[in-house]
Amino acid sequence: MDRHALHQPSSSSSIPATANTVWTDASPLLEVACKDLRDGELIHVDNFNLYAAMSALEIMDPKMDSGIVNRYCSVDEAIEDGVAPVPISTDKTTDVQCVIDIMDHLLTCEATWHKGHSLAQTVFSCAYLLRPERTSSHALLHSYCKVIRATCKAVITVVSDARTHEEEDLFTMAYGLPLSGDGDEKCLSLLNAVEENISRQLRACKAPSSKRKPLEDIEPLQTNFDLEEGYCKALLCRLRFRKHFFHVLTCMRRPQGRGLELARKHIASCISELGVILKSAEFLMSNAHGTCEDATEDRTTASGHQAIGFDASLNSRISAPTPPRSIKILSWKKAIEYFEKLLHDLDIISSYPLDPSLEVLLRFVAQFQKAQPDLVARAHLQLLLVQDGKLYGKCPMFSLIIRAARLPEVFLHHDIQKNEYVVQLGQLVINMLKILCTNAAWQRRKLGKILQDWRVIYVQIELAFRKDFGEGSSISNGDNASARILKHILIWVEEQTYWISHRFLILGFELELYSPSEYCMVYWYLYVVLIRLAEKTHLKMTVSDGSAKQKGKKRKDSPKELARDAKIPPAISFLQCQICLAEGLTVLLAALRNELMVLQSPSPFNSEHERFIQHFELLQKACIPDNISYPSFEESTSYARFSTLAMYNYFKDAQKIAKEARSGFSNDPDRLAELRVLEQVAEHNSIALNVICGVGALDPSLKVSFEFIHHPCFATVVVKRS
Amino acid sequence: MEQVQEKQRKEEFDASEIEYVSYGGEHHLPLIMNLVDQELSEPYSIFTYRYFVYLWPQLSFMAFHKGKCVGTVVCKMGDHRDSKFRGYIAMLVVIKPYRGRGIATELVTRSIQVMMESGCEEVTLEAEVTNEGALALYGRLGFIRAKRLFRYYLNGVDAFRLKLLFPQPEMADRDDTQNHDDHSPREEYSELHRHL
Repeated sequence: MDRHALHQPSSSSSIPATANTVWTDASPLLEVACKDLRDGELIHVDNFNLYAAMSALEIMDPKMDSGIVNRYCSVDEAIEDGVAPVPISTDKTTDVQCVIDIMDHLLTCEATWHKGHSLAQTVFSCAYLLRPERTSSHALLHSYCKVIRATCKAVITVVSDARTHEEEDLFTMAYGLPLSGDGDEKCLSLLNAVEENISRQLRACKAPSSKRKPLEDIEPLQTNFDLEEGYCKALLCRLRFRKHFFHVLTCMRRPQGRGLELARKHIASCISELGVILKSAEFLMSNAHGTCEDATEDRTTASGHQAIGFDASLNSRISAPTPPRSIKILSWKKAIEYFEKLLHDLDIISSYPLDPSLEVLLRFVAQFQKAQPDLVARAHLQLLLVQDGKLYGKCPMFSLIIRAARLPEVFLHHDIQKNEYVVQLGQLVINMLKILCTNAAWQRRKLGKILQDWRVIYVQIELAFRKDFGEGSSISNGDNASARILKHILIWVEEQTYWISHRFLILGFELELYSPSEYCMVYWYLYVVLIRLAEKTHLKMTVSDGSAKQKGKKRKDSPKELARDAKIPPAISFLQCQICLAEGLTVLLAALRNELMVLQSPSPFNSEHERFIQHFELLQKACIPDNISYPSFEESTSYARFSTLAMYNYFKDAQKIAKEARSGFSNDPDRLAELRVLEQVAEHNSIALNVICGVGALDPSLKVSFEFIHHPCFATVVVKRS
Repeated sequence: MEQVQEKQRKEEFDASEIEYVSYGGEHHLPLIMNLVDQELSEPYSIFTYRYFVYLWPQLSFMAFHKGKCVGTVVCKMGDHRDSKFRGYIAMLVVIKPYRGRGIATELVTRSIQVMMESGCEEVTLEAEVTNEGALALYGRLGFIRAKRLFRYYLNGVDAFRLKLLFPQPEMADRDDTQNHDDHSPREEYSELHRHL
């Protein structure tokens, strides 16, 4: 459509009629209609009211109209205008420089896309990518574009398959983009050919001139001999990075984690090539054609030059259906940092030994999430964990549950796996694993929602147990395996439910959902949940140990063994340390509130009761735990005074437990590290407590604050004199 | 141009000079639109404004100083899924020279008051996690951060969904036992918050 037609007076139609359409100018009619409407009047029908009107398309307003013509009506018009020349320059040196700039800018676009922007406005703002056939005469550019498209397609597939991207749904939007270029799946063979050629060119330029024979002369990469080595190397590392990255994606998608070891090798190569890419910046900047436009940290290419062939507005009509927004493309340095982190996160996933223990797996996922991995890494993790309804594509959920409930392996094939509730439980576990791979904000919401499901399944299994086996609680040796299995499963389900609740609460700290005036109730609830969690965990351990004992193992019952049996398992000590910390913080906060009237939040519209209900609604709905409510919180904390605190230092207890528990985690560096941090918090808080109680809390010059300087969840008490 | 200058200096005024007006009709609409367009980054179509102020005129308020509109709040309320009758604060703006003087708090309070009297069970809104002013304001009014919304805004910033739960009727007796300490030493209270 000729855009100038809009500015011409509405005489005869300037748009030619076709077989199916006749155009007529409606401007006069619209003018009359407008005159007829008064300000504030809206033409509406049943299915078009004020609410619907909010989604109205506003055309001709650049702020609202994403279809408004910017410079070009279409990609082809832009190309005709010379936006993406092929070759970029007839001078081979300039051409190479420009291709490198394009490669660099594409990397920054790719990182920007991964970080949450649309593909159309980032990677596919490159006109060369939008018209795949056009680059076929330029082997280097052509093969690179192919591998970019193939890589984007592979990454979209991973994220789509994981289906955890509800909040990140811009990511997979690829409508109208040529993601599947013809022959893109053969991109690696093309890339290899190009890489081989440039390697030869590199060897040729490094060989001493006397040895160079005219017959074996291959055409150099570009025309300036002095720069040949530098440009060959700059290209090679970029091509190799892409090759290895594509391999990483392919290897990691192999079922049952079979490709992980190979993936690690390719990841190492990627990281190594990224290093070479970074180093190439010096050479590229100093030899950039023309003056260097941008030597700042913001530049999107190593050379500092703006890459040719990019225009984000080219896809404005197929971009996200929101008002047009220009986005800021990441800087080249930041893009490389992004990929370094992504590769590092993928490496962690690839090194995971696929442990069949759910306990180990949950700790791994929790630890992995601490590094705040991005969507692409998380999607890969999820697809590794859950494939075909099995763990790692090989362990059935039932076997996972049997092991988690600490039942002997002999039960792995028991018929009870067909029980409808046991099957449902398996589904809950799968769902939970998927949720644990999502971003923290999404994860917390979903974890809160599934609490009810876990509670319900517990009740259902318990009812089934009682119906089939009566009220007897003893687990007789050998007979009635079904009863024993269900009994163990029940204990484990409760433990798992409290584990989920615990995670739900602590994620609130990481997400900054609690304000200081709410810390007291949060730590109190955390304390209550931790106690139950420790109870259930301990119960699970003793019941399974008990069963083992009953199996008739001859035990010598030496004092040493008795002592060892009486010793608290390290996992329980770990929880106990946290319980003491939570209790200490609860009581301290309550004392501050009761004695100094601080950290209250008088609101004109509601009270602490409402805020309690809101924060713990999902836990309360699932009766986690039973008989806990706001009045319980009020009662527990109303007594807290500084005199009480002076009598009992919970933090000292926490410190002691942490020290003693160290030996139990000598093989677990992550837990050891966390234990050390808990100890630190306990130590600091113990001292702070002494200061507060000693100095006299009613000293107005004393300022107490709670800061997360050591641990993301347990606050360190900071006492200052103003 | 004068707006740029205004942004740089703080206006001197007494709180009593601010006049709070409920949305009165079409003549108020351009005032609201100009304010919001000026201060907020998200562009809204006129239909968006009309939706709110036509259907819930009683929930939108403006603050005037010497005849000039310096602040506005735009809200709605209605049945939400899970059948909760819920208020929603869509826009809140006070121009820069007038900030920090409680005008926004007053505007929001008026609106919430009407919501409460109309039978709303709760009030909700979204705010950028970096918007400390808004978070403090709503926190003081009793809102909690119910959820964090990952990359809610197109510039990649997260948001909090803030929610205020009104006391439910069956707990009417409880309210007596929770005497808000109006005489809590504000100084200390705000001191503690400064660290956080």
